[in-house]
Amino acid sequence: MSLFIERFINGLADGSIYALLALALVVVFRATGQLNFAQGEIGTMGAFFVSTLTLSGLSVWLSIVFAMVLGFVVSAGVERVVVRPIEHRNPSAVIVALIGVFLAVNQFVAMIWGVDARGLPSVFPDAADDFVTIFGAPVRIARLGLIGVLIVVLFLLWLMFNKTKIGLAMRAVANNQESSNLVGIRVGTVLLLGWGLAGAIGVLAAAMLAPSAGLTGTLMLGPFLLASVAAVLGGLDSPVGAVVGGLIIGLTEAFIVGYVPFFGADMLFPVMLVILLVVLLFRPSGLFGTERVERV
Amino acid sequence: MSAAPLLNVEGLSAGYGPIEVLHQLDFTVGEGEIVVILGANGAGKTTTMRAISGMIGRHGTVEFAGHEISGAKPDAILRAGISQVPQGRGTFTDLSVEDNLRAGGYTIKGSIQDDLDRWYELFPRLAERRSQKAGSLSGGEQQMLAVARAMMPRPKLLLCDEPSLGLAPLITQELFRVLGSLRDEHGMSLLVVEQNAGMALALADRAYVLETGSIVATGTGAELLADDTIKEAYLGVVN
Repeated sequence: MSLFIERFINGLADGSIYALLALALVVVFRATGQLNFAQGEIGTMGAFFVSTLTLSGLSVWLSIVFAMVLGFVVSAGVERVVVRPIEHRNPSAVIVALIGVFLAVNQFVAMIWGVDARGLPSVFPDAADDFVTIFGAPVRIARLGLIGVLIVVLFLLWLMFNKTKIGLAMRAVANNQESSNLVGIRVGTVLLLGWGLAGAIGVLAAAMLAPSAGLTGTLMLGPFLLASVAAVLGGLDSPVGAVVGGLIIGLTEAFIVGYVPFFGADMLFPVMLVILLVVLLFRPSGLFGTERVERV
Repeated sequence: MSAAPLLNVEGLSAGYGPIEVLHQLDFTVGEGEIVVILGANGAGKTTTMRAISGMIGRHGTVEFAGHEISGAKPDAILRAGISQVPQGRGTFTDLSVEDNLRAGGYTIKGSIQDDLDRWYELFPRLAERRSQKAGSLSGGEQQMLAVARAMMPRPKLLLCDEPSLGLAPLITQELFRVLGSLRDEHGMSLLVVEQNAGMALALADRAYVLETGSIVATGTGAELLADDTIKEAYLGVVN
């Protein structure tokens, strides 16, 4: 039983990372209808930036805040410089361009910070004996912290989307760009903010993951794939779906790796592929997504 | 109309890419006036609306309240006092009724509570459904919401693009009564494009007839209603 609880909470903790990343993907998808392939890599870059800042003596929290600002600027820049000019001419070419951005950021990180793995300090107490016991199961405080970060981010996003004018504008733009124009919302600015916000969340996810996973150039590769599955599972246009999807994927991962002996870890991606196929076959709009009605 | 008209359009041409849809339109809307532009499908009604509100490129003179606005961007034109009810309503279907109205008041600095109260009073159905998603409203209610939303920015001129489209005659009648009350009780000026000639002309102070991008007739609503060619073309009455 205690092993189950330990795996459950660890699953939720990893799921929180996927949920954050999936949220970032959904924020962009709702605004522009694009899957930002560079989302994970921008996060990785941010995590390396955190490492540089902390090495120079800055506190970890403050470093993460600065790195999130960097993620905001870079992601907003991608929208303005890459996505918008191409989208007018050929929306499907944006996918290829974003894969290009993915490669560019990936190589940029290798160029600046090298290819050797490095550690990143956790923002939570993370010594060997920093754990609490929940129903007899030992749970690391740093793991609980991840879940806490997700809850705080969700609360802040909820506040922004539902209680502020800019949040209202973002929801309006996601729903109907033409009408947003008509009521005087500057759609371009809102799209820029949406991408920037997603970039900042992606950096946060990477900075939360790096202490336990180890900071390398491929830090976000796996998590990005899993977050994509989570976003599709939850519904690409649903923030709630992204969170639920992320947590489901995290739990699935924890249970497969935990309960399937010998080759559990190797089964992870095949199982995710099956989940993706089943969702696309039977519920293409995801658990919480808006069903698209095609009128012919 | 002794004073200069609120909206003065001269030689307005507009289109999409190389295709010109509107050819040199001249028309005016006076203060407190409802002007109807009557036209069949493809006559250029929607293009006229989009040209005035700055959603597409255009040539010619558009003067509003004494200011030249033909080069202005949509949000500047909205701030100047021209608001639009788009064709097909264009409500934010995933947003609640109240959020639709709040989005409508996006350009207003300061409190919009008085505005919300005022339009809820004119549209009690919207007040009842304020927390429902706009997409769940009936067609008539959505059209009312679109009108209320367009009034939120406190415009002086309201552009209505085929408001009767897809509505049952009784609902259309109710809608046109509301449009009339915007003029009579709220001092609004309205430019309405329609193909529903009967009800629109009954509402109109003045009207223009638009055919393939050019204005071919003009007069008061009553004059055009009595005109035989208009009757034949737009009311299906054959003498």
